Amino acid sequence: MAATAEPLPRFVPKAGEEEDPREHLMHDPRPRGEMNSMVLESMHTAGWRYWVVTGVLAFLVLTCLVIGWYWLIAQGLGVAGVNRPVYWAIFLVNVVYWIGISHAGTFISAILRVMKVEARRPFTRAAELMTTFGLVQAGISVFMHMGRVWLSYWLIPIPNERGLWPDFHSPLMWDFMAINTYLLCSTMYLFLPLLPDLAMSRDRSTGWRKVLYRILALGFRGTEGEWKNLRTAMTIFAWAIIPVMFSVHTIVSWDFAMATRPGWSSTVFGPYFVIGALHSGMSAVALVLFLIRSTMKNMKYFLRPEHFNLLGKMMLMISMAWAYFYFNDYLVPWYNVDKWDAILRDFIEKGPIWWLWYVMLICNIVVPWAILWRKKWRQTPWLMAIVGLLINVGMWIERYVIIPETLTINRMPFTWRIYIPRIEIFLTIGTFSLFLLLYMAASRLIPLIPVWEVQEGQEGHILRKVGKAQIPTVSEID
Amino acid sequence: MAETRTYLAVFEDIEPAANGIEKLHDLGVTDDQMNVISGIPVRPSILERPSAVTRVATIGFIGALLGMAFGIFLVWGTPFLFPLLVGGQPIYPVPQVLIITFEMTMLGLMLFSFIGMFVDSGFPSYTPKEYIPEISDGRIGVLYSVPTDDENKVAEALKKAGAQSVGPAEARQL
Repeated sequence: MAATAEPLPRFVPKAGEEEDPREHLMHDPRPRGEMNSMVLESMHTAGWRYWVVTGVLAFLVLTCLVIGWYWLIAQGLGVAGVNRPVYWAIFLVNVVYWIGISHAGTFISAILRVMKVEARRPFTRAAELMTTFGLVQAGISVFMHMGRVWLSYWLIPIPNERGLWPDFHSPLMWDFMAINTYLLCSTMYLFLPLLPDLAMSRDRSTGWRKVLYRILALGFRGTEGEWKNLRTAMTIFAWAIIPVMFSVHTIVSWDFAMATRPGWSSTVFGPYFVIGALHSGMSAVALVLFLIRSTMKNMKYFLRPEHFNLLGKMMLMISMAWAYFYFNDYLVPWYNVDKWDAILRDFIEKGPIWWLWYVMLICNIVVPWAILWRKKWRQTPWLMAIVGLLINVGMWIERYVIIPETLTINRMPFTWRIYIPRIEIFLTIGTFSLFLLLYMAASRLIPLIPVWEVQEGQEGHILRKVGKAQIPTVSEID
Repeated sequence: MAETRTYLAVFEDIEPAANGIEKLHDLGVTDDQMNVISGIPVRPSILERPSAVTRVATIGFIGALLGMAFGIFLVWGTPFLFPLLVGGQPIYPVPQVLIITFEMTMLGLMLFSFIGMFVDSGFPSYTPKEYIPEISDGRIGVLYSVPTDDENKVAEALKKAGAQSVGPAEARQL
């Protein structure tokens, strides 16, 4: 279907004039068949570099994750660095980190869909995939933390004869319910808008891909009834998954805040964790979009500087919000002058690993504030990828400061001991490798660009002549 | 009486498709005898079509109620069977009920909406259907049923309205 936008005359910018509207994906339409071919070509074309990177990641998953976890199970948690007083360590740092990453998909896809932010269209799926794969890593990390994974079914609230009963007074039980709800719902939410693109892939594939897409597309044709059902379901999901997203990380924060320990017992932890999750998640999207754009064919057409600009603005706002909540969380205990809080603060800021706290503040506040205020820099994909990477380093460290560092200082000084990770380092490398490996596999199996949503957006965008200028205008055709 | 058959008219764009549907209306083809297949969702009023009826929201609402009931059962029902005294808290604490009930309500809502979409759309369905792959390339297909006697008259009108092709709709393996 040809877009209804009028062909634009050649744009010759004058001094002080606006940018060429064709820099925006919505104002640079191409025939749907061509866009389909571009996306399918990117899925089917894999150069030697793709296979080298995949091979390295598979090796890391095998050695660090599979063998490492086997070793942990066989030997017990003694091979990890956890010991009194730090029983919650890197495994749970990773859990919180990956749940944070998972927030990006919902935020970008659901909130921007509800707000009808048009620039979201080409990268919603890339973000939604992060949600599902991020939650997989979080789940794996929980099982690592448990040690005796074969008893994990004890968590499930079913009647049993073991004298155990899941305790709904415990935030850990809420966590189990919330994370599973979020995983299930975000996976369904990933699948819904994928249906039309699976049907498109089915129509253009042969061999095993044809069989796969025929099964996954479920017989979708695009009838009026199917579209109506799909849109209704997507609208319900977009609205309903937003409060679930907020609840998940709030509940994760309550795992800590409900404990009456120095550094954890805080009423601001809920929103502070949610903002932290968005901070790392949004930045990870920028990083992943850069990787997709740089490594996959034809992606420069779909993922443009305008999208990095949008992400950059959101990252800057979220960074400011994070700093605001962090300051709140810092200031109130500072005024209270609780002895144990003061000791903990000294330990974090001046203790043997003081530098972590400063790296965290630099990565989470200084870097984004110094770079993201400028549009030109926000529109530079490689720079956004670096900022995204640094924010993620900062946010991982933030979780490290909150969990093992804070646990080091308790009200029994004779137990104080610096936590030194051991096998956790390999397992962490393993989960990061698995995340990337899953993403790379998915990039060859499902269309990362929701082509129908891009075309839908392009159909609704036209340039309207107002006075002497052509003004981009959006109309809703869905 | 002539036999009724289903035909497929393929249009390049929304505009000629809307014109074609208008012609079908003029020729006495009712909305029940038509269906539009497209690669993107098109607002029904653009094609002068009635809005399709969906039960997804109703099914989702039922799911939300079931989820809520399940959540209440978990937090209120299970302590009734196995009372647990924790930290001086009541056995049936309200805040915890709110948290778990909220999660289960949302899970019920979304799970049933997802299932509702399958049920209402008849998914999965792998039987042959009237379809052409060009639809996902952006064409708009109009499926309509008319008596075979009117076949030529209707086809002529649709071609004048801008149809690229008009012919009997053949069910094919997707």
